[in-house]
Amino acid sequence: MIEVQHLTKRYGPFTAVNDVSFRVERGEILGFLGPNGAGKTTTMRVLTGYMPPTEGKAVVAGYDVLEQPLEAKRRTGYLPETPPLYPDMTVRDYLLFVARIKGVPGKERRARVDQAMQRTWVADMANRHCGKLSKGYKQRVGLAQAILHNPEVLILDEPTAGLDPRQVRETRALIKELAGDHTIILSTHILPEVSQTCQRVVIINRGQVVAVDTPENLTSRVHGSATMYLQVDAPGADAAASAAAALSGVPGVTQVGVSDTQGSVTGFEIQSEQGRDVRRELAAAVVAHGWGLLELRPLRMSLEDVFVQLTTQEVQPATTEVAHE
Amino acid sequence: MNNVLAIAHKEIKAYFASPIAYIVVGFSAILFGWFFVNLLLYFDRMALQAAAGGPDTLNVNEMLIGPLLQNVAVVLLFTLPLVTMRTYSEEKRAGTIELLLTSPLTDVDIVLGKFLGAFVLYAAMLAVTAVHVGLLFLFGQPEWRPILTGYLGVLLMGSCFLSLGLFISSLTKNQIVAGMITFAVFLMFWVINWIASFAGPTMQVVLNYLSITEHLNDFTRGVIDTKHVVYYLSFIGFSLYLTVRSVDTERWRG
Repeated sequence: MIEVQHLTKRYGPFTAVNDVSFRVERGEILGFLGPNGAGKTTTMRVLTGYMPPTEGKAVVAGYDVLEQPLEAKRRTGYLPETPPLYPDMTVRDYLLFVARIKGVPGKERRARVDQAMQRTWVADMANRHCGKLSKGYKQRVGLAQAILHNPEVLILDEPTAGLDPRQVRETRALIKELAGDHTIILSTHILPEVSQTCQRVVIINRGQVVAVDTPENLTSRVHGSATMYLQVDAPGADAAASAAAALSGVPGVTQVGVSDTQGSVTGFEIQSEQGRDVRRELAAAVVAHGWGLLELRPLRMSLEDVFVQLTTQEVQPATTEVAHE
Repeated sequence: MNNVLAIAHKEIKAYFASPIAYIVVGFSAILFGWFFVNLLLYFDRMALQAAAGGPDTLNVNEMLIGPLLQNVAVVLLFTLPLVTMRTYSEEKRAGTIELLLTSPLTDVDIVLGKFLGAFVLYAAMLAVTAVHVGLLFLFGQPEWRPILTGYLGVLLMGSCFLSLGLFISSLTKNQIVAGMITFAVFLMFWVINWIASFAGPTMQVVLNYLSITEHLNDFTRGVIDTKHVVYYLSFIGFSLYLTVRSVDTERWRG
């Protein structure tokens, strides 16, 4: 449905997007993930025909965006980063105008506009001027504008930005519901959003794709070796160091790192060989030394850690900032 | 064509939803009225002198309507930059240009739509002056043909200003910058032949030909000279072409 091949976009000497390729199948929701300035918006702008690529090509709904832009645009709905609203127009007039320029036939326009307003919960603001709406309503009118002409492809640049938690949930539900007959690309920097709504993720950093996979695969792939968090109460001077030494001696353990210390209580992050469960041995070792075993649990890498790891310039082993919730 | 009309319709709505349309039309009407009264009083005095043995040919077309339309040109110089300065700048600032450029519209659709929208507002502004001219028909017998050609000339000249203003607006995000540059360029096209009398013979012809107001004179005398029509139409065509190119360049630059 959407195919991006070796897409490069340069602004003068600055390369915003560098040789990006990916595919999106019909009915799929693809999450586009990356830090600010990674090239998400630029890629989306190329896909929507807002700007041409410097190199490479993009095919949307079977039409090359450079060769047959009008055909591709007719089949694309786009919500830019800032919803493109005319402040002096009422919501209904605005949507009627958008319906007209998107090529919705005159007879259907009113019905389509009403339908889109209902789906995005803005019907109660139909006669309000766009400029007077709250951020959340603006965002949703922007969404209404994107789905109005029932496009095959929806490209949403941070669709839930500025919404309150309830609206975020409703919008995500709406996006999921739309996925059946629309193909969706959405960009975000909110990670739970990706794991909740998207079937596949493209992680982009400094204009380059660093990973394309399902959220589940990504978390397990980067996971690599298994990591445990172990907290022990080991009184006495240098207890932490001796505990670390003792734990390193446990068979199967590959690396021990101290993650936090509070008085005599020390937390360790322990990596073990892949596929080997060392929890029993660890517990036995702690008990054998007469220390108190306070906590022992596997550390699962969240998508957030994957993201941080993939997008940080010098990738470091998992001993660094692993979340402890 | 439907796309052009859609954009034009939106533009007109935008003019009338904001105070721009009312201010432009309203204040222009006041200024036209003032010029009209002034010229009418002058004509009246001339008529009295003629009765007392002054010049024997008095022509309401030549002495009143012609100069009135010339004065309209002065008003345009100040008001039309206000009409065109927002056309593209505002869309760029508000990000709505992104909607237009990602909709199934061609750049030509957008430019022509915007031009047409501004033209309708301008025509509304001129329609107000027709009230004054209409009054003359109640009390005298002016010739209607020169009036018609005069209006045609003013419409063409204003359209030149509009198309040029549209182009300048497409170059910047800032309305004030667009407005000021437009005003300066309009003024330049106006006064460009002021130094003609000091220039050499070739330069003189060139400068006079470039002057946007120089071409209006024949129209107000009731003459439709293709030379002037060609000048105005090519001016409009070229400015609109530049606007289309400018919008396209903007895409490539990002």
